[in-house]
Amino acid sequence: MTLPAIDKRDLPTHEHRSRARASVSKSAAGLAVGLAIVALFTVVRVLAPPASATFGLPDAARDFATLSISVAVESLPFVFLGIVLSIAVQVWLPEGMLLRRLPRSPVLRRLVLSLLGMLLPVCECGNVPLARGLVVKGLTVAESMTFLFAAPILNPVTIVTTAQAFGWDNGILVSRVLGGFFIANLVGWIYSRHPRPQDLLTAGFQETCTLADRHGGPAGRVRRSVQMFSQETRAMMPALFIGAGMAGLIQVAVSREVLVTLGGNPVWSVLALMLLAFVVAICSNVDAFFILSFGATFMPGGIVAFLVFGPMIDVKMLALMRTTFTAKTLLQLSLLVALCAAVLGLAVNYGH
Amino acid sequence: MVIRRLVGHWQGVVLSLIGLIATIWLGLTGQLALYIHPRYFVFTIVMAVIAAVLALAAFALDPATPATPNEHDHEREHDHDHAGERGSRWGWLWPLGSVLTVIAAVVALLILPPSTLTTATVAQRDLNGSASALTLKAPALPSKGDYSAFTVRDWASLLRSGAGQDFFADKTAAVTGFITPDKTDPNVFFVARFVVTCCAVDAQPIGIPVYHPGWQNEYKTDSWVTISSGFRANPNPGSREAIVLIPDSITPTTQPAQPYVY
Repeated sequence: MTLPAIDKRDLPTHEHRSRARASVSKSAAGLAVGLAIVALFTVVRVLAPPASATFGLPDAARDFATLSISVAVESLPFVFLGIVLSIAVQVWLPEGMLLRRLPRSPVLRRLVLSLLGMLLPVCECGNVPLARGLVVKGLTVAESMTFLFAAPILNPVTIVTTAQAFGWDNGILVSRVLGGFFIANLVGWIYSRHPRPQDLLTAGFQETCTLADRHGGPAGRVRRSVQMFSQETRAMMPALFIGAGMAGLIQVAVSREVLVTLGGNPVWSVLALMLLAFVVAICSNVDAFFILSFGATFMPGGIVAFLVFGPMIDVKMLALMRTTFTAKTLLQLSLLVALCAAVLGLAVNYGH
Repeated sequence: MVIRRLVGHWQGVVLSLIGLIATIWLGLTGQLALYIHPRYFVFTIVMAVIAAVLALAAFALDPATPATPNEHDHEREHDHDHAGERGSRWGWLWPLGSVLTVIAAVVALLILPPSTLTTATVAQRDLNGSASALTLKAPALPSKGDYSAFTVRDWASLLRSGAGQDFFADKTAAVTGFITPDKTDPNVFFVARFVVTCCAVDAQPIGIPVYHPGWQNEYKTDSWVTISSGFRANPNPGSREAIVLIPDSITPTTQPAQPYVY
């Protein structure tokens, strides 16, 4: 009985050592590729034509580029801040530290969970994997929905960027925060009454979310941090760049008259900006910067509806949530949240 | 399959690097002000450096080829993300879209020369139309009557606040801005600036009307000029602008390092 045990312990050490050597050389090669790409990009940037060259582009095309670039450059540091913080919480905080302290009463639990975003300042795309992990650790489906919808709005980065863009005192920030809090808890309450919550989840979900933390030790953590970084950028960067491009394009292409007509109408301003939020799918961390340019033409209710609806439901979120919830559930959720956001926006417009 | 996996695996990190290198280069060459408000400069550069370190670490520690069980799990999760695209007839569109996004990012951020907004955007957004851009910072009137520090924005605020002709009678404006035409009066152009709250996407144009018949033959739209002149009543009573600058001389100049006002 003892011999096989020694064998078992011995074999992995050998294997481990040779695997470790292979992985060191692979890391070096990977780093070299990375540095080569950095060098290539730097050379391209430095050798690119000077500012005086315009390539004969018409003004509108240049402004399209300038506007899109400004959205991207402004958003990037906030996106990376969110990624770094979500890595810190998911990889470096002791496991279960957050869940163990939740209150017992379902309503209170959801209230606390909707404030969890204050500690996890990630935008909505980072929340989906996190919510999946929380369900595996014992959260109910309804509670995960409350967290999923509240966290992107009730989080410090979103609140700071919204305040930077719109200031504290014109009601947009307050409506966004309270509206998001209310809708998230309403959705959680409605789905907590579902008789068979497991039916809300996709069949493949159980399998997908079993990849919980298994790797202890600091080395494993560093590796997992880096993998999370690469995973998060994979989900967010294409959406961010495409979103920035669309933001620039709408600014240049959609005629001012159309925007002013839509934006000045209390109903259309809400519906148009909700549609925009659904399509552009920009992160909640930076969507305030995106919509700021509409602030002069659109009524505040439209802006609030955009800022509340966008973080909860958009094309990118539906794609991400489809990994977890059934299509029917997502359709119900979308209609419910859209209705709530529209009512909120109209209330702001008519109450103003 | 290999190409699809490589593209899928690396596009996030590569797009990050494009944005980060562009940001750091703009910071080093002092051109970040073309895109964002100066209060973000330090934060932006610090986050860019941190993210660049993480991106390089991703190249070293997160290889695309599954070798250990750890990485295998990871790949599997990635496949799940794109489950919808997999195996369908249009599956090849996904990597194509990724490559196009990377190319667009390289062209926009690494090849195009940085530039300010132009008159095309002035036309798209009402000149002097945004109340907040003008009233946000009402200028304090200097006690000694020294108005030399007044910017385009200060004067535009005063003009819009409805101060009468008497108020402007003895004042001289010395301002720098770019030329943008008046939509209604061909004899008038505006010496204009953009007011930026966060970044260029929210820029609101403001300007002071300048009466100078035939300006189109002397100056190009969007070129930068410095004007020193007193305010007068507009000789054309039908014009929308009642009070204008009528300068004796207009000095062409180069675009300032901070083209926007805050």
